[in-house]
Amino acid sequence: MKRYRLRAAVATLIIFIILDIAIVSGHVHIVFPWSHVPGFFSFFGFLGCLAIIYGAKLLGHHWLQRDEDYYGKDDEHE
Amino acid sequence: MMSMSNFPLAIIYVLGAALLPLLPRRVRAAFGLLVSIAAFIFLVNLETGASLTFPFLNYELMVCRVDRLSLAFGYVFVIMGFLGGIYGYHVKDTLQQVASLLYVGSSLGVVFAGDLFTLLFFWEIMAISSLFLIWARRTRDARRAGFRYLLVHAFGGSALMAGVLLHLQQTGSLLFTHFDGGVASYLILLAFTLNAAVPPLNGWLPDSYPEGTVTGSVFLSAFTTKVAVYALARGFAGLELLMWSGAIMAVYGVVFAFLANDGRRLLSYHIISQVGYMVCGVGIGTEVGVNGATAHAFAHILYKGLLFMGMGTVLYATGHNKLTELGGLFKKMWLTLIFFMVGAFSISGVPLFSGFVSKSMVVYAAEMEHFGAVVLLLNLASIGTFLSIGLKLPYFTWFSTDRNLKPEPVPPGMYIGMGLTSLICIAIGVYPALLYNLLPFEVHYQPYTASHLVETMQLLIFTGLAFWLVIKQLHVADTITLDTDWFYRRPSRLAFKVFSIWVCQLFEAVEELSIRFARYLVKVGANPAGYSVEAVKNAGHILLRTEKPAPEPPTFSPDRYRIPLGFMVLVVLLVLIVILTWDFLF
Repeated sequence: MKRYRLRAAVATLIIFIILDIAIVSGHVHIVFPWSHVPGFFSFFGFLGCLAIIYGAKLLGHHWLQRDEDYYGKDDEHE
Repeated sequence: MMSMSNFPLAIIYVLGAALLPLLPRRVRAAFGLLVSIAAFIFLVNLETGASLTFPFLNYELMVCRVDRLSLAFGYVFVIMGFLGGIYGYHVKDTLQQVASLLYVGSSLGVVFAGDLFTLLFFWEIMAISSLFLIWARRTRDARRAGFRYLLVHAFGGSALMAGVLLHLQQTGSLLFTHFDGGVASYLILLAFTLNAAVPPLNGWLPDSYPEGTVTGSVFLSAFTTKVAVYALARGFAGLELLMWSGAIMAVYGVVFAFLANDGRRLLSYHIISQVGYMVCGVGIGTEVGVNGATAHAFAHILYKGLLFMGMGTVLYATGHNKLTELGGLFKKMWLTLIFFMVGAFSISGVPLFSGFVSKSMVVYAAEMEHFGAVVLLLNLASIGTFLSIGLKLPYFTWFSTDRNLKPEPVPPGMYIGMGLTSLICIAIGVYPALLYNLLPFEVHYQPYTASHLVETMQLLIFTGLAFWLVIKQLHVADTITLDTDWFYRRPSRLAFKVFSIWVCQLFEAVEELSIRFARYLVKVGANPAGYSVEAVKNAGHILLRTEKPAPEPPTFSPDRYRIPLGFMVLVVLLVLIVILTWDFLF
């Protein structure tokens, strides 16, 4: 199962790198440093997704996430 | 003169809201829809360039000004008001019906306001009417969140008023045009960015929107923030600060959304993120940028309304909205899932859905001005959006663990509302000219290019792959996330102590003291001579350092030192004799 997923991912990546070289490179009018990296947005999507997941988890776990009644405790005086 | 070409649309809604409670209960919801249809007829008759002025005190107020920017927002607001009305057709609560009409009307009032005074007037009505959409849920949490919402918006409204008055004093003009800096415009900017929920002024939005009623939150998600985007586009286009705030805001929203447990709070954070794109487009300030911001606002209002409708339907049917309490609804609520996924694909910018043709315009504007960091930040936000709304939220609501929920039947109006909104989202995605023809500037942008398609598909597919890779490690927890509302929610405990408890304690202490003093006076007044004698004796003991006698026995009698009555009579008689003698002799 795991292998199957990995193969599918690599195959998709290869397809998109080919597409990138065939269609995108050389056809974009506005050039950024990443415009020359084939499949840049594949990597960006993959790593960006992991970065958001783990970045958010780190932030939440160590700092921002609290019990649901965190503010509720203030309301005892009502 | 007032005519069809410059008719202030807000009037229709205000009249409608006033008439609605007088009608029989059965026809009220239909009447609400009728108001929207009437407004739409007036809207298509508005002419670009028309305006309506109205003398008020010493000023000429421009209560209606029609141009392409206000028209674009006007269209989407009227359409969304209608769709929300269909979705909420089953609602029998007059408060919600009146509040939503006023809310739509006042939003249109702001959008077509030509002067700052009219803007301020409708701005405040907008805040109050939306507040009742939160309070109409009638729960304790909604009431409390509503009060916080009210306080925050009262602050924003005051800043706006101060800014407007200062601006009037400095420039002598009330016209709402581009602002040129100075304290007045910063105050106005503060009010606008507060309503646009630009961090750190964003705390109120995820705090209050999840607490609204099922239909109320559909309306809430559409208007306040987008009215603010309109106001920023007119007043502050090209302010670079806004571009950076917008780009950061887009990522801020998705990070917090990922941590949210309440489904509608997750969507609320994505409002912040999506409004980030618009604020960024406004900040770039070029024609493409403002077009992109407007297009994205237009598309966003519809798909975000649709998403709130979807989660609202789940809340309506199951009574739950937290990811920790949802799951396995696929077989029971598959139709809602389909509609929700249309909204989810739209917000994620999947080709053939509305977000694809609007979001990319903002990114394109940033590319044109060569802001590489902004382009990357916006793309990162795009990834996070697909992750949370396209994958995580539907996964934990409709799939994941089956919690054996028993959804109640949903009124057909909710399905029709979601269906119509879905249709519009797809129509815009398939045929972008529908949207592009409404934008303030002429559009030279083509979203369906091979390179754009390849880039977008790469982003989406690899986000999906990463999600599937770590899906086993994702679990939702029963928590809340601290946001900037902490700064006024947590210290409220201290403020309560200082301004309420301490003040009460001070009052109590003063009262206690005065009562003691009064008791003492009563005691002294009963026998002044006795107390004086005692006091002199005590003073003598203290001065001469002699030993004090034992305290008086408890059976102290005031008569002990009281002067006998006969003595007083004698004194009076003697005085009388002296006076008489004096009188007689001289």
